Amino acid sequence: MDERPVPLTLKILAFVMFVFLLAPVVLVVPISFSADTYMTFPPSGWSMRWYVDLMHNSRMIGALGTSTLLAVIVTVLSMLIALPAAYAIIRMRVIGAEALLALFTAPLLLPTIVLGLAILIVFAGAGLLGTFTGLVIAHLIIVLPYALRVLTTSLAGLPLIVEEAASTLGASPLTVFTRITMPMMMPGIVATAALSFLVSFDEAVISLFLTGPRITTLPVAMYQHVETQADPLVAAISVLLIVLTLAVVMIVDRTAGLTKTFVK
Amino acid sequence: MQPGFLSIRSLTKRYETMVAVDDLNLEIAKGELVAFLGPSGCGKSTSLRMIAGLAPATSGTISIGGKDVTQLAPYRRDIGLVFQSYALFPHMSVLKNVMFGLEMRKVPAAEAERRAREAIAMVQLEGREDRRPAQLSGGQQQRVALARALVIQPSILLFDEPLSNLDAKLRDEMRSEIRSIQKRLGITSIFVTHDQVEALSMCDKVAVLNGGRLEQLGTPNDLYERPATAFVASFVGRTNRLSGVAEGDCISVGGKALRAPGASKGKVELMVRPHRMVMTAAGETMPDFGSEPINSIDGEIRDVYYAGDILHYEIDAGGQVMSVERTTSGGETPVSPGSAVNLTWRVADTLVFGAAQ
Ligand SMILES: Nc1ncnc2c1ncn2[C@@H]1O[C@H](COP(=O)(O)OP(=O)(O)O)[C@@H](O)[C@H]1O
Ligand SMILES: [Mg+2]
Repeated sequence: MDERPVPLTLKILAFVMFVFLLAPVVLVVPISFSADTYMTFPPSGWSMRWYVDLMHNSRMIGALGTSTLLAVIVTVLSMLIALPAAYAIIRMRVIGAEALLALFTAPLLLPTIVLGLAILIVFAGAGLLGTFTGLVIAHLIIVLPYALRVLTTSLAGLPLIVEEAASTLGASPLTVFTRITMPMMMPGIVATAALSFLVSFDEAVISLFLTGPRITTLPVAMYQHVETQADPLVAAISVLLIVLTLAVVMIVDRTAGLTKTFVK
Repeated sequence: MQPGFLSIRSLTKRYETMVAVDDLNLEIAKGELVAFLGPSGCGKSTSLRMIAGLAPATSGTISIGGKDVTQLAPYRRDIGLVFQSYALFPHMSVLKNVMFGLEMRKVPAAEAERRAREAIAMVQLEGREDRRPAQLSGGQQQRVALARALVIQPSILLFDEPLSNLDAKLRDEMRSEIRSIQKRLGITSIFVTHDQVEALSMCDKVAVLNGGRLEQLGTPNDLYERPATAFVASFVGRTNRLSGVAEGDCISVGGKALRAPGASKGKVELMVRPHRMVMTAAGETMPDFGSEPINSIDGEIRDVYYAGDILHYEIDAGGQVMSVERTTSGGETPVSPGSAVNLTWRVADTLVFGAAQ
């Protein structure tokens, strides 16, 4: 990145592109500090009232808690399932591994709305609608294909010969996995965790089918809020979400290196 | 055959479409350094991987020190392996890499570190214990790999073309270093290479492989002077070939009668090392072979190459191209292309093989 000086025109072009892409997002920040009771730009006055309002909005806070807990549980579970699955598919060369991978990642290609409808039908019969367990299972269905994709790619890129070297030095298959394979997969594992968390946290379509009066996630609560009210409360939430996303990305960058994790 | 320390019997590896190793039989004595030599794809790596347990054998047995290890997982075999691509652990320091095998053997940490540091010193990498592999040159990485394999004092040490990724000068250095360490520690070793100079100069014995089969196992001198097959004769060192028809020990080559020790009947190939042929041009005196029986043919010089210490002649002898060398002594004029010459060599230096293998 920093080896060659970038021409000025290119810099300006890049700047304009970023402004274009990020303008709607950036616009949210001033609106969240608005003193008005509805969303306008520019606001007629400034205040922190919508942040204060948010602190006292038990429905939003509850939804935030549900979404966070849901995303954490889904991330942990998807890792526990996808890591051994990726290992079995790539390293143990189980019979029909290619077909299995294609099958497991097929939901990536399905329109989410179709998937949501299918889940709704199945869950209605199983009594999982409006339950936390139902949300966990539904989110796992969405997140697992992503997790499996990233982890299989990461594992397939590792030289097998390094693991073989460890085994000739006396390491059992389990030791090889924990001491050699996993550490070498770390960028892929961090990327998978970040991706799983964000996909689950951000999921709205399927959650819309499954949530009800008793339980709701943050994206669904926000959607329902703007349907009935036009106040800047959702702008305040959006700013918090942007901060959260940036925090996740920065943690990934610190621990594994962003370009290494997502580009390679 | 007397059972060796490493004993390989009828070892075979079959992949769906081909046989990579075909009925390999080999006995290697304790402390010996044996080369597996052969062209690329002849099954050297596959043999080595079966010995290490990384590839299951289709059939046959491998035993080490009298114990059958054919079905044993690699981590129970006590074998050191050094790969062409080093295969170091990228996330561990040099010291941790070398300590890994000792840790797996439950050697107490303090002793493991002491022994690892000794091994690192043995491959001349003191002071680099805390580096990551990526911070080392190729040659240094291969030294780490060597130390990592040596430190566990394995019963057998296997090398799979460990010097192929290094430049020529470093390769020479590492060759003699590996040889002296191997001798000093007396570790039974197999050294896979496709480079005959490496095999002949480093190893006690050389196993020549071709198409998955063992062509010959012998000392470097055996292979060069008494090759068992035409393949060995042409793969190890350089040869001139002549095709002819044998009748007893008399062989007719393009109408000219030559002799070879122990020739059989039918179509044969004769091979003679270039530097064992003596070229005589018109006006030069014939060399004196004493009472030794000799062969001699006539030819015409096609080309001359000057290579500093030698002059290299290409000679057309009745349609078959021979190459002959003369050492230079300074001041002579090379015999010019087109000149008629005579080639002479001892019957004892004539190798004969059945043709069309
Ligand atoms: N996993 C495999 N599947 C199919 N064929 C293989 C496999 N590994 C090696 N081979 C084949 O076996 C033959 C011997 O390979 P190898 O032992 O690597 O040769 P070398 O090390 O002598 O160059 C080659 O023809 C190679 O293509
Ligand atoms: Mg090989």
